[in-house]
This record gives sequence, structure tokens and C-alpha cells, in this order.
Amino acid sequence: MANDLSLRIVIVDESPVRAAILEEGLKEAGFENVLRIGSRNNLLERIYAIDPDVILIDLEDPSRDTIEQMFQVSREVKRPVAMFVDQTDSKTIEDAIEAGVASYVVDGLRKDRVKPILETTISRFRAFARLKAELEEAKTQLEERKVIDRAKMLLMKMKGIDEETAYGLLRRTAMNEKKRIMDIAQSIITAAELLR
Amino acid sequence: MRRLSMGFIPLTDAAVLIAAAERGFAMAEGIEIELHREVSWANIRDKVNVGLLDGAHMLGPLAIASSLGLGHVRVPLVVPFSLNLNGSAVTIDKHIYAAMGEVGEDLSTAPGAAQALGKVVRQRRAEGRDPLTFASVYAFSTHTYLLRHFLKGGGIDPDRDVRFVVVPPPFMAESLRGGLIHGFCVGSPWNSVAVDADVGRIAVLGAEIFGWVPEKVLGVHARFANAEPELLYRLVRALYAAAHWCEDATNHEDLARLLSEPRHLNLPADVIRRTLDGRLNSAPGGKLRSDPDYLVLSRDGANRPERDHALWMYAQIVAAGQGEFAADAAQEAMSVYRPDIFDQAVGPVPVKHPEPDCVATQFGEVFDAQAFLAGRTVA
Repeated sequence: MANDLSLRIVIVDESPVRAAILEEGLKEAGFENVLRIGSRNNLLERIYAIDPDVILIDLEDPSRDTIEQMFQVSREVKRPVAMFVDQTDSKTIEDAIEAGVASYVVDGLRKDRVKPILETTISRFRAFARLKAELEEAKTQLEERKVIDRAKMLLMKMKGIDEETAYGLLRRTAMNEKKRIMDIAQSIITAAELLR
Repeated sequence: MRRLSMGFIPLTDAAVLIAAAERGFAMAEGIEIELHREVSWANIRDKVNVGLLDGAHMLGPLAIASSLGLGHVRVPLVVPFSLNLNGSAVTIDKHIYAAMGEVGEDLSTAPGAAQALGKVVRQRRAEGRDPLTFASVYAFSTHTYLLRHFLKGGGIDPDRDVRFVVVPPPFMAESLRGGLIHGFCVGSPWNSVAVDADVGRIAVLGAEIFGWVPEKVLGVHARFANAEPELLYRLVRALYAAAHWCEDATNHEDLARLLSEPRHLNLPADVIRRTLDGRLNSAPGGKLRSDPDYLVLSRDGANRPERDHALWMYAQIVAAGQGEFAADAAQEAMSVYRPDIFDQAVGPVPVKHPEPDCVATQFGEVFDAQAFLAGRTVA
């Protein structure tokens, strides 16, 4: 039997960044045969050609049903493939689904040989989701900053006040109306556009 | 108010679940349904399994196969409600369909269309050309079994003479155009989408093959049914009220609009409307292929999950070589369907008894439940 690090692993993911992060993680863990493929073109032919031991696939990829059918048609595959993770390891299944990834493992591969691959996959998918959330958050903050700055400029121009006073006015109004500064800023911009 | 997360796949037959969530039927039972659109049946199964979803719009055969542990880890599911019967159609590549028109068969009848397809398949083989490839939406689906029965009707061996693949519904038309597949069986409105894109022709409606066939169901994990039976009764009552509303043609315009919203099916309302009314253009701007039973959302007891339907699906699984026959597995398959929960929730409803068998087989081999259970035949 080949040693564990030579297992052929295929990553099916339309997100090149996440696939790269996962590939890097698996290579760091010592797995050498990691291949990334997108799901759009000739997915099945490519999977037959690669003949993988493990397939990792993004849950948001609609090709899961296509891949699962392949396991039903035994004459189409060189060897039977089945989802490996069994009932006794429901925690790993749960973690993977929650992290947004599913795995298929060739029949007969022992659980302990696959576990490090799944653990790496789950942690990398989680890291990617965190990264994405942080990026979204930063983007939102930046947008809000811009809106507040614009409202401040409008107030300064209309009322002939300085920046600090304008910001103070925004903040006080937000407190009095129990709203976010951002919402007050937005309504000032909307009102200014209407009255222009 | 109890909040329940429910998954669905963008198809017309998610109508009852979507209407229950969005038109006040769930609210009336003290339930708030949060809808989650999913991209694969595998996701639906897995998310229900781990509890990310409380229940979902599901293929009947998926509920049976998952409960038996076929093709995947075992996920014990319970089906207390049938969301619809029928609603599929077989679409054929327009060039193949044109060839079917040249072989002297009457394409306006389902057996005629099947015979014509059989002749085309044999003709291609005689010419040494590649076998045709047919797509369904999931290995364990009524669509797979409709296609197999239709092909057999034309003297085609579905295991040897053609290839089968699975393609997600939104990619059917594109795959047909690209020549990756030559025909498919899918639920509405995706047949009409392929017709409108002028790549395929609707050859037969599902109801012309089996007139009363199980399709989508509400599937929940067994632990939900065991832990909170009262909540499940309320959910079933909400769905039944929604189904009644959906069946009423005077609501079809509103329903089509609701389903067409970007967060639901994200498709033109008029395409959805045609499928709700059972009027499908078989060619662009062309002939209508219509059947009052094309899609049945509620009437004649369609919402009651019948055990003979569960057994029929298990028989199809066995016939397609997806599982081996075992008497106890047959019993287990039947016990996935829970008419007792349905009856407890909504009381007795008048139920249709189709002929000549439980799925109203229109031509070809009739399903003999007794013989199947005795292990004498494979349907």
C-alpha cells in the first residue's frame, strides 16, 4: 500500500483563492499529489483521468450531484468510490458541512488515513470564511466612513461650521434619535440630493 | 412563534413550501419558515443530516435511499407530506427530435415517441455512432425512473444502449446546446427553459408515462419527528393549507410571481405560470403539450404520502441496480413514508386510487407490488 502522503487528492472549487489556500495547507501537511480543478468543463472525464483517492468539494458547487451519480455507475469508474466518513464519525461530517465542504473518499481507505486531510480542509475552509468576513467588514467600514465624511462636508458647507462641530452635530442627532451616525449621515445626503 | 429552517431547490414544485413560508400559512400555525435556497440535493441531504436545516423540499427517492444508506452514509428521514405528484417532462435535443419525426411514428403519443427514439438509437448504433447520453437531476430521482421506463418503451436497454449522467437543472439547457447530453428528464420549469432557448423539444410530459407518480416531498430528520411531533403536525397543517391555495388556479398568477422572485426561482413569471397551468410549449412558439395532471399540487389526496408509492420507488431503485432487493429493506423503505402523521395532522382526506397500479403507469410494464414483495419479479 502506498504511503499516506502519496494519496491523490482533488480539490473541486470555483474559488481559486480558497482552493489555493487549501492546496497550500495540504502541501504543508506533506501531501504531494494535490490537484485543483474547476467544476465547469468535463469534470467527470478529468476525475476519471486523475483517479483520485480523495475528492474535496465546495458545498456551494452544484456538481456534487453529478459526482455522486458517478459512484452509482460502476462501469464508468475504474474502482468503486464511496463516501468514506462513516456514521461513527458524525462529528467530522458535521464540522465539514458547517465549514462548507464535502469529501468523497475511495472505498476501503482507512479512516485514520483520511482524518488529517479532512482536518486540514476544515480548518482552511474556516480560515477562508473568516478572512472573507473580515474583508467584508473592512469594506463596510470604509463605505460608512465615506458616507459620514460626505455628510460632514455637506453640513460644513450649508451651516458654515467647522469639521469638529459638524461631526458633533451628527453624533448628537444620532444619540437623540437613537440611531447610528451612519443612518443620520445617509439621510442628510438623501435630503441634500432631494433639495438640490 | 417557532422558527424552522427549510431548504429548497429552485423548481416550480417548491411552490407549496415557498407559499407556506411567504403567504401566511406557516404563521397561522405559529411557525416562521426561513427558506434556504440550495444548489444540490446532496447539500439538502447533508444539511438536514447535521441539523443546519430542520427539513427540506426533497426528491421522494432521495428520502428513501438516504434512509436505507444507499449511495451515501445512512440518514434516517421521515416523510410526513407529499409536496406534489408529477410535474416532470422529457426534453430531447432538437436535432434528435427532428430525426425521431422521420421514422414513421406518431410523436403525439408517448409510446409513439418512445418507439421513435428507439429507432433513432438503433439507427445510430448501426452507423457506429456514439450512444446517446441522457441526464436526470440526481441518481435517486423519479426523473431517472421516468427516463428508464420511457426508454424501455422504445425497446432501449437503459443500462447498455445509452449513457446516464446527472446535470443540475439550471445547466440542462446549456449542456444540451453544448452537445454534452442529448436529452433529459427534469421538473419544471427547466424543460420550458430549454424549449424557449430553442435547443430542445418536449417529447413527453411525465404524466404521459406515469400518471400519478411521487415527486417532491417534505423530508425531515427522524430525530425531529421523534422529539417534536406536535410541531411537525403544525408544519404539515400549514403545508396542507398552502397546497390547497396553490392548487386553486385563481391564485396561479400570484404564485407564479412569488416563485419568479430572485430569491426563489429567479425566472420569468410567465414560464412558471405555464407549468402551473399544465400548458407547455413543446417547441418555441409552437404546439402546446398539455395535461391537466401535468403537475398536481394538492387535489385528490396528492399530499398524503402513500406507502405503496414508497414501495414503488424502492422497486425502481432495485430495478436500476442502485440497491439489492431485501425484504426488510422494502419494509424500511415503506416506513419512511408516514401517512399516519399526515392523517393525525389534517384528518382523513379523499384519496384517488389510480389504475392500473399506484403510479398509473400509462404504457409498458405494470407495477405488481405483491409480486415484488415476494421477490418474484423486479419491476
